[in-house]
Formats: sequence, C-alpha cells, structure tokens
Amino acid sequence: MLKYIVRRFLEMIVTLFVIATATFFLLAAVPGDPLSDRVEKLPEETRINMYKKYGLDQPVLQRYVTTMKSMLKGDFGESIRMPGYDITRLIRETMPISARLGIQTILVGVLVGLLLGILAALFRGSWVDYTIMFFAILMISVPILIFALLLQKYVAGDLGLLPVIGWPSGSEQWFGGWEYTVLPTLSGCFTYIAMYARLLKTSMLDVVNQDYILTARSKGLSEPKIVFRHLLRNSFIPVITVLPMSIAGAITGSFFIERVFSIPGFGRYFIEAVQARDVSIVLGQTVIMSAIYVVLIFLVDILYTLLDPRIRLSGKG
Amino acid sequence: MEKILEEDFRIVGCEDSDKNAVVTPTITYMKDAWRRLKKNPVAMISILVLILIALVVIIGPFIQQYDYTFIDPAGKNQLPNAEHWFGTDSMGRDLFTRVCIGARVSLLIAVVCTAVQVIVGAAYGGIMAYFGGIVDNIMMRIIEVLVSIPYLLVVILVMMVCGNSKGSLLLALCLTSWCGTARTIRGVILQLKSSEYVMAARALGTPASKIILKHLIPNTLGILILNTATSLPSYIFQESTLGFLGMGLQPPETSLGVLISLGQTSMQFYPYQLLFPAGILVLIVLAFNLFGEGLRDALDPKLRK
Repeated sequence: MLKYIVRRFLEMIVTLFVIATATFFLLAAVPGDPLSDRVEKLPEETRINMYKKYGLDQPVLQRYVTTMKSMLKGDFGESIRMPGYDITRLIRETMPISARLGIQTILVGVLVGLLLGILAALFRGSWVDYTIMFFAILMISVPILIFALLLQKYVAGDLGLLPVIGWPSGSEQWFGGWEYTVLPTLSGCFTYIAMYARLLKTSMLDVVNQDYILTARSKGLSEPKIVFRHLLRNSFIPVITVLPMSIAGAITGSFFIERVFSIPGFGRYFIEAVQARDVSIVLGQTVIMSAIYVVLIFLVDILYTLLDPRIRLSGKG
Repeated sequence: MEKILEEDFRIVGCEDSDKNAVVTPTITYMKDAWRRLKKNPVAMISILVLILIALVVIIGPFIQQYDYTFIDPAGKNQLPNAEHWFGTDSMGRDLFTRVCIGARVSLLIAVVCTAVQVIVGAAYGGIMAYFGGIVDNIMMRIIEVLVSIPYLLVVILVMMVCGNSKGSLLLALCLTSWCGTARTIRGVILQLKSSEYVMAARALGTPASKIILKHLIPNTLGILILNTATSLPSYIFQESTLGFLGMGLQPPETSLGVLISLGQTSMQFYPYQLLFPAGILVLIVLAFNLFGEGLRDALDPKLRK
C-alpha cells in the first residue's frame, strides 16, 4: 500500500510538470507577446524596462527555466493584465466563491440525481422510470448556458423573484445571501441530476442480475436489506469513479454560469487570462486545476478498496 | 425368416436432400441491431425529426430568398409574422434564414469533427493496440500529454493564431478530441488481437494494415457508431458555448452559438430572438440523444433478451 502511494505521488508530480511545460510552450508558441498592446505608446526606455520586469526580454528556453524554478518555490509571478495580482491572491479572492457555488451545485445535483436513479431502477419499466429517464435526457440536451439564460430572464427578470446577477460577499461569503445563489446553483445542477440518475440506474440494473443478489434473496434476506446492503453498495462503485471529476469541475468554477450571473469566480478569469496571454495566471490556474483533479483521482483509487473488497491495490498497477 | 432381396434396396441419393440448406437467413450483428432499432418508436421518431430539420435547414433559406447578412434598418426587431417567420433581429435580418444558416454551420461542424474524431481515433487506437510494446507506450504517452492540456486553452490559442474562420474552429475542436476514441478502440482491439481469426490472417502473411482495417476495425463498429452518436450533440454544444464566449465564428458568419449569444443581448425585450435558435439547438441535440439511446439498446448485446 505504501509503495503504491509513493509511486502514485511521483506520477502526480510528473503529470503536473508535463502539464505546466505544455501550457508554457503553447502560450509561447503564439506569435506576438502579451505586452505589445500596452507598451505601444510608451517611451523606448519604459518599454525596455517593462519587458525586463516580466522577463520577456529573454529567450524562450531561459524563460522556461526561470518560470519552472520559481514555480517550484510556489511563486508563479505577477499578473501582466492585472498589476499587483498574482495567482495566490487570485485564488484567495475567487476560489471561495467558485467553491461555494460548486459545493452547492454538486450537493443538490448529485443527491437529487441519485434519488431519481434509485427510484427509476426500483420501478423499472413503469411510468416512474420512463418519466425520470425522459427528463434526464431532456436535461442533458439543454446546454447549461440556455438554462442559465432562461432562468435569469424569467425567474429573476420577469417574475422578479430573485436577484438577476451578483453574489454575496464579505461576511456572507460562505453562509447567507442565499437568494443570490439559488439560480446559479439551479442552472448548474441539472446536468448532474441527469448524469447521476442515468448512471446509478444503469449500474443498479447491472448489479441486480449478479449472482450475489440471487444468493442474498435465496438466503431469505428482506427486500430493504438486499437493496441497501448489497444492491446500493455495489452500484455506487461507478458513481464514485466519476464523482471526483464532477467535484473538481464544479469547484474550479463554471465559465458560463459565472459569466451569465456576473459571479467573480475562479473560472471567469481563465478565459480572460488566456486571451490576454497572462502567462503567470494561466500557468497558475492550469496547474492548480490539474492538481485538484489529480489529487481527487488518487483519493478515489484509495476509496475504491474500502468500497469494493474485490479490488486490491498493487505496486505494479 | 424372409429373405432380403437385392431388389428391395435402391439408391436414394443425396442430391435432392436439402437438410443442410440454411432455412433462416443468417443475420449479421449489424442487421440484427438494425432490426431492433426499427422496432424502437422513440429512435425512429428522433431520426425522422433529424431528417426533417436537415431538410428545412437546407431548403428553408431558398423559400423566401432573404440573405442572412442583409440588414434592413426599417424592419428591426419585428415579431414573428407571415413575412418573417421567426421575426427579425436587432439589425433587421430575417431570423428564420439566419437560424437555418446557423444550424447548417453547427451541423456541418458537428459532422466533420465527429468524422475526424472517429477516423483518426480508430486508426490511432488500432495501430497502438495492434503493434503493442514500445509503439503502444509512446503513442499512449502522447495521448496523455494531449489530454492533460486544458481543452479551453487549446481552443482559445488555436482561434487566436488561425483567426475566427470555420476552418480554424474545426481545427480547434478536432485537435485533441480523438484521444478518447483512440483509447476506447485500443481497449477493444487489445482484446480482439488474440482471436483466432487474427492469428489465421497473420499466418497467411496478411500485412498489418490490412489486418487492422479488414479484421479488427469492423469488429469495433458497434462502439464506433455509439461514439459517433454521442459525439455529434457534444460538438453542437461545444460550438454553441464557444460562440457564446465570443470565441467562435465572427460576423457576418453565423452559427447557432453566435445566434444564441446575440439573442442573449436582446432577450430582455425580444425573447424570441433567443428562444428560436436555442429551441432549434435543443431539438437537434435532444433528437440525437434519444436516437443514440435507442442505438445503444440495439447494439448492446448485454441488453438482449
């Protein structure tokens, strides 16, 4: 087990290194540089100083080495687009916002989705099943974007029930200001509801036909005991596989929801930073997001063994 | 005891016998799947809806002879009426024509990207799995690197370098999309590789390219078809989100994504400008998804009763 953890940890470091390198060179491969628009009208000397400040006067390889070295120390450098900002400050200010929205979305989406999935599987072939599955397909056929726009227009705009845009801040950052969070959470959670309802239903139908369910039944176990002890426990394995991906995606921010509802979250800055070729911010955000993904996937692999005694981790993989 | 004479025997022969004849025609996997698909009303209605949308989108703009870029300052923001079926937008352009052209572009992008994804993915996965060993290792690492770069970063950078044309949008969407298909195909072919028919083909000296193309890929057809069915709607989604972020096509070119993002700016007062393109997009994606669902039921041997 320890051997496995060490090996996976080293692999994670290599993955993050590769991602950072690829991102760096992709950004460097785009012709032009991030400063040229801003320094056009400045005098020659200031311009040279500006380039020196961000290290853009050096050749690419040199810049790569410097960036990687400072990255190891946790320093991604100052933002070019927003002077005075660096990735640490950006994370401190925007991450809690995206994380709260993400956690709310996942909680509502996954819980409702799993509940509907269980209902659909237990009443398979009945109208309950067909209704749930039809709405699940309908939900994944409507882009989040359109949900967000329609909710914003009709619920917030025309009916005036909830605020159109905005997000609680200050002392209400984590709790409070709920009326602002309802619509963004709703627009985000539909996808998860549909996804988890379908996933759990399929997985439950797979498990129901397994021999151990037959054994449980022939032992004379009561129906609730079969469902909760054997059926659900084994059906949750595929759910656990995709859950961390959903969590990582949700807490690092949704570009569309944050844009539609003007939420100052983490995801919104990514597009702006890439378009401005703000190397330090893009690199920082990419590495942080990938790190969250990689770590969560790692945790899942460990979690597997707890859920399914058939899976054993080995040093070889 | 009665005597058995030679005359009691005669040669019946086996020429007329049809005991070995195949009474029921052999049903291949694909024929069987098709038969089951035909029995699924939801899938059949979806494919009908898709054909109908495709026809309207192709013929539609010719009926009224509007140009989708023609700006009519006098006829701005008209509600849907007999002359303009979907009304006009904030620049007086006929929305029906624009939705048709936009849907055409979106469908075209989806079809081309899916084709590239499936063909490149199948070829890459096939080569990777068939040769195995070091080839497999190197090709797998390439995929891992490509997958690890954030998708949005690649798309934005390609659009920045190549400009906002249809070609660069296609390139941006296709660049890393085939990796998933390649991985799936690799997994399947790794299992098929040790089958007897592959060994037989190899023993006969069939070249590797022919084994992959003629023997291995056809056996992954079911998975490739499913892959196609799920990819088509996802590309329509991706195009629309890119259009919304302002990174898709630039005016005067249009697509459903561009129309939705234009509709958003005027949705407060003229909601139909958002609802028409969004509605068509949802209809197309819903039809694709329902059809894909039927296809999966038809192709998946596990669900056979």
